[in-house]
Amino acid sequence: MEVQQSLTVCVTGAAGQIAYSFIPLLLSGQVFGQVKINLRLLDIPKMETALKGVVMEIEDCAYPLIGDIQTGSNPKELFQNCDLIVFLGGFPRLPGMERKDLLQKNANIFKEQGEALQEVGKEDVKCVVVANPANTNCLILSRYATKIPRQNFTCLTRLDQNRAYAQVALTLNKPLNSLKNIIIWGNHSTTQYPSIEHATVEGQSFVLPDQGQFIERIQKRGAEVLNARGNSSVFSAANAVKDHIKDWYNGREDTLLSLGVLSNGEYGVQSGLCFSYPIRCLGAFKYEIVGNLQLSDFSKQKLKVTEEELIQEQGLAESI
Amino acid sequence: MQKFLQKVITNNLTRASMAHFGQSLKPPVRVAITGAAGQIGYSLIFRVASGEMLGPNQPVILHLIDLPFAMTALNGVAMEIQDCAFPLVQGIVATDNQTVGFKDVNYALLVGAKPRGPGMERGDLLKDNGKIFTETGKYVNDHASRDIKVVVVGNPCNTNCLILANQIKDIPKENFTAMTRLDHNRAQHQLADKLGVHSSDIRKIAIFGNHSPTMVPYIDQMTAKNHKATVDQQWVTQTFIPTVQQRGAEIIKARKLSSAASAGNAAMNHITTWVNGTPEGDYTSMAIPSDGSYGVPKGLIFSFPVTVKNGKYSIVQGLPISPFYQGLLDKTIKELVDERNAVDHLLK
Repeated sequence: MEVQQSLTVCVTGAAGQIAYSFIPLLLSGQVFGQVKINLRLLDIPKMETALKGVVMEIEDCAYPLIGDIQTGSNPKELFQNCDLIVFLGGFPRLPGMERKDLLQKNANIFKEQGEALQEVGKEDVKCVVVANPANTNCLILSRYATKIPRQNFTCLTRLDQNRAYAQVALTLNKPLNSLKNIIIWGNHSTTQYPSIEHATVEGQSFVLPDQGQFIERIQKRGAEVLNARGNSSVFSAANAVKDHIKDWYNGREDTLLSLGVLSNGEYGVQSGLCFSYPIRCLGAFKYEIVGNLQLSDFSKQKLKVTEEELIQEQGLAESI
Repeated sequence: MQKFLQKVITNNLTRASMAHFGQSLKPPVRVAITGAAGQIGYSLIFRVASGEMLGPNQPVILHLIDLPFAMTALNGVAMEIQDCAFPLVQGIVATDNQTVGFKDVNYALLVGAKPRGPGMERGDLLKDNGKIFTETGKYVNDHASRDIKVVVVGNPCNTNCLILANQIKDIPKENFTAMTRLDHNRAQHQLADKLGVHSSDIRKIAIFGNHSPTMVPYIDQMTAKNHKATVDQQWVTQTFIPTVQQRGAEIIKARKLSSAASAGNAAMNHITTWVNGTPEGDYTSMAIPSDGSYGVPKGLIFSFPVTVKNGKYSIVQGLPISPFYQGLLDKTIKELVDERNAVDHLLK
């Protein structure tokens, strides 16, 4: 079949584990349909040889949709002409590292990348930040790339959302596609608030036998998988990135979705924070924050807790 | 004795909700993957679960099989599959019990095999895997769906397939194949790169023989953008063939890990093509039981150029075999015959 258009997509942390699982999904046609993908693969200089191996394997998959591939370690080179940038690369938490150090090390990386975007990025480039702390990294990125519209900056909470859907489906013994509007609010961290307040199963609202247990399980699922696999959630994260981009690009009529986006003050959240909200995806990368849902006191309190954490993170990150 | 019982996690998709949501979904099929807790398994399982292998209207029940020591890790994989909220996954069976693992299975991708340890001779590798695949063959014969399609990926895949198929009495032998699609995809890229075209523009190439250094990449009939294309013989013998043969090792050197993603991709391609058919005017490579074509001894599991239609493959007959190619064919035939002899005691 003739492939008409093309998109240029940059993946940072391209030699890493999530990229290894994400790239086949990106090139499978599941996200953008029959559109050729030009790849820009960015990682640190130390990973140059490993990155060559990644490229060889992409070649060996003989993907019909692959366009040209460029690799490198300089964002000012690789961010040029990109339509979408997927920020998988970040500083990992090392043993003995303080939270403050993690935040600041990543803030430095995302400051540099934001500056590169400002200098060479396409005006309308779309950004998905995955590397943790995702929300705060996204906030920093947006602070240094001021020419790019605020709504182009998103961070991933789709993994938490997918996990929440799975747990609810199992608990209620209902199929996944009978569920709608399960929302992840706030920070992609243990303070996130997975909410069923506006969710429905087969069109009806519902309660869970133990809501507290449900919330805690989603908050701590990453650790649960880590203990079982001996490794972090790689493929499910890559899959969530694919879902996030696919729905952001194509739109979803049947349900609200969770994306971390820059707040304009919705639900009393401090403006400028990157906060996961209920989002209506309209297609062509357009969305609106659904800002008028009624929230119980319980929910409001949960939002406050996660907002507090994000304000603290912002403070630590901005002290660079 | 099983330390871990099989875990069955089902998520029932009722006909009512299928109708309500307007999806024309087919009845679910069971897909088994062995070595499911390993690296290739990790690349493969999720793409199968997302619907890439059998299409967006084909629900699947995953049968993930591995050894007892891998059950905790396999449980972690099952958790991650749940965390993907795949609409097409109707159940997950994670087990070290092959009776449960192969029960009513329609498709099996046999990735698990004993790896070559340091100092291990090829003969030992053959014998050790021979035992594994003899066992698996019995379970498949006794419990799998009578229409099961099997691709053996774990190496030495041709001979492992031979041993497995030898245990089969009640399922057609042609349902048992081995994977050379990775070599095919690798060759396709190398040729595209040389000719300056996209890999999807390269057609009518095939891999003959064993999935080993003796494999034969046949390009005599190759077309690029539907025009006959040739490359110089020196490049073929000095660059092309060695590059495809050594690609796996080259990737290990660069990544420090083996080529799991591209191997998983090829395994998936193998099944997809077997189910959906080959494109008009092209063929693919599958290692299948030889019927004597091209002078290959009957019964050897040998990679041939095949067209596929309605779930059945046919060897492309009458391709011209030059003395150059005949020499290469002779080598790979000899190697497979030697491998068969080495496991003779396992074959009836």
